[in-house]
Amino acid sequence: MKRALFCWLSCAAGVLGAALACAATERRAPASPAAILKVGEAIYRRGVLPSGAPLVGQRAAGATVEGVDAACTRCHRRSGLGVMEGRGSSIPPISGLYLFKPRSHDDNDLPFVESMRAERDPYTEATLARAIREGIAADGRPLGYLMPRFALDDAAMAELIAYLKVLTPRRMPGVTDTELHFATVITPDADPLKRTAMLDVLTQYFSDKNAAYRNTAPRLRSGRPVMFRVTRRWQLHVWELSGAADTWEAQLAAHLAKEPVFAVISGIGGRTWAPVHRFCERTGLPCLMPNVDLPDAAPDDFYTVYFSKGVLLEAELIAHDLAARAVKAQRIVLLFRAGDIGEQAAAAFTAAIGASGTTVINRRLPAHGGDLRRALSGPGLVDAWVLWLRPGDLEVLAQRPPPAGSLYVSGLMSELEQAPLPESWRPATRMPYLFDLPDQRRVRLDYQLGWFAARKIKVSSLRIQSDTFLACGLLAETISHMVDAFQRDYLVERLDDNIEHRILTGYYPRLSLGIGQNFGSKGGYLVHFAEPKGAKLARDSEWIVP
Amino acid sequence: MHLHSGLKRTLPARLIRPLAGLCLGIALGVCGARAEAPATGQPAATDRFRVSTFAYQVPAVRLVRDDGKGVLLSDELDDGRAVFLNFIFTSCTSVCPLSSKNFSDFERELGAERTRVHLISISIDPEQDTPARLRDYARKFHAGPEWQHYTGTQAASVAAQQAFGTFRGAKMDHTPVTLVRVAPGKPWVRIDGLMTAGELLQLYRSLLAHG
Repeated sequence: MKRALFCWLSCAAGVLGAALACAATERRAPASPAAILKVGEAIYRRGVLPSGAPLVGQRAAGATVEGVDAACTRCHRRSGLGVMEGRGSSIPPISGLYLFKPRSHDDNDLPFVESMRAERDPYTEATLARAIREGIAADGRPLGYLMPRFALDDAAMAELIAYLKVLTPRRMPGVTDTELHFATVITPDADPLKRTAMLDVLTQYFSDKNAAYRNTAPRLRSGRPVMFRVTRRWQLHVWELSGAADTWEAQLAAHLAKEPVFAVISGIGGRTWAPVHRFCERTGLPCLMPNVDLPDAAPDDFYTVYFSKGVLLEAELIAHDLAARAVKAQRIVLLFRAGDIGEQAAAAFTAAIGASGTTVINRRLPAHGGDLRRALSGPGLVDAWVLWLRPGDLEVLAQRPPPAGSLYVSGLMSELEQAPLPESWRPATRMPYLFDLPDQRRVRLDYQLGWFAARKIKVSSLRIQSDTFLACGLLAETISHMVDAFQRDYLVERLDDNIEHRILTGYYPRLSLGIGQNFGSKGGYLVHFAEPKGAKLARDSEWIVP
Repeated sequence: MHLHSGLKRTLPARLIRPLAGLCLGIALGVCGARAEAPATGQPAATDRFRVSTFAYQVPAVRLVRDDGKGVLLSDELDDGRAVFLNFIFTSCTSVCPLSSKNFSDFERELGAERTRVHLISISIDPEQDTPARLRDYARKFHAGPEWQHYTGTQAASVAAQQAFGTFRGAKMDHTPVTLVRVAPGKPWVRIDGLMTAGELLQLYRSLLAHG
């Protein structure tokens, strides 16, 4: 039955040649290739056996691993392309091509990955099953001690091997011999000035990236097929969405069909980014470092990477600060506009502050207009106020004296150090600040500012432009780490692993990702304005990771 | 896949004490001290690990324990118990789970003796590894009352790693290291690579007897 299933899949997927003997000894209704792959995928990614029982692995040194901790993806990664983890700890690629393909000098379809075992004999299904069960490599040597032994039965083994074969690197959309295609996504509710500021940087970066290829340097081609195409140009597609948010996913699908891209880079959103996020996760399209202040990541999301958790992190920082100051906060009023990102921030704050003895009052202003004058009055005594408002609303509110009690203003929504707070409000108002302070980040920004100036890019929204430039730089570094293995999963994995090595991190003190991490920067400061006028900030806290 | 090309022979326990004074901060291998045969009670070295001894100076590092309490690393180290220290991060998928599993088994195998040891695991991804996340991780490895996990600022984690010569820059470049000290004032025995719980127990007994 194992063989029958396996052949079925192989033929359908076109992965194997005709050499496979399809000697079916048992019959059952053939499952669809997708169904078989789902079984293999469950073993590979989640450590779940076809029976539903957890996968159990035994390491040579005696340790047992189980379930998701035993899943192949934990070490060999989702792409199956392996990883160099730790000095000398090399997890080899186990996607089909790397396991089964005979080696030859004219190998030009086996993308280089750091941990590949170029010297090893190819596996057969039998020797691979032996490797998985007994820890013995194709050439008879023992596998490394990190590799557990798995007592898989024949059916589960066949399904896992079938999955490994399908996992093999293939030509990705948006990758040609001469070009790499990327898209950037702009939602209709994005701030038009910031949209332009971002596009200025993106288009210039792509133009710079390709400038090197316009000269007369000989292309790295030779008579014999070569493995590496080092002259791929970068092509940017701008996907401008329109209309209601519930139509965006369909629009994105149409864009992707018309302009196949390898990944989405940067981009800019407004009140919601959720449809873009969902589309990227659903279609397996990396969506890297967009300019959004309300990201939308669930714990198992893989393809979406943000610089930070945005206003959700602000909410956690404010809750943390109230606790750290031991502020008696029995009544807290949250002020936000219906439909703006402050609404979700308020919900995140309520979750973070916890239930004990605190009454959180959500004061939800209409999406537009409304009477702001009464927004800052009782009822009763209010211990703390949190204003999730844009500069225009703040300006109106701040015409009156600040309310009694602790006062917090969202930094992201109020434009950070440009927030329109008058002198009377400044000493009393705390602001979560998810970035390095201006004085500390200046040196890191100098390079970017020089780049903008030399290219005559108007700096109209420094944070957006800095983040966009940083996203481009990280993409370029990651792509260069990939050598020629252009797989979407691998792109995300390489970014996860390498982002910590980035030296110029723009607005952020430090960036770091890892398996299951979607946010590069994880903390922030609490600050207030240091002077009656101007943009100088003073720190109220150390860097906090709530 | 040989991950660690360790010394072929084990550091004998009888050599640890005299050499600790001579080889401050220098791996024994560099000092040229090799034993001809494994000492009684010491685990036989394999390609999985190598053992050396150091006299580390621990600077003032403030960490956050998995119960949320701020502590000084030196206080945690110098509470009179034997210390077993390693560096982990909760999203690490290859080496750290193995290292933690060994701690877990070691703690269990100690039985009643466990009250005389303190197992310390410090996160090298402290911004991700909040106390709550560390508690989940500890639960997964059935950590008993003798085993605590620590986080803190990035700078504090780096300082702790540097104090024990394990800092490698980025967390993905980490290597498995376990540090053992049977009592305050004694030298640190450093294990590069991975010992099983049984081997760790053997080493501990041997250090108690001879060190």
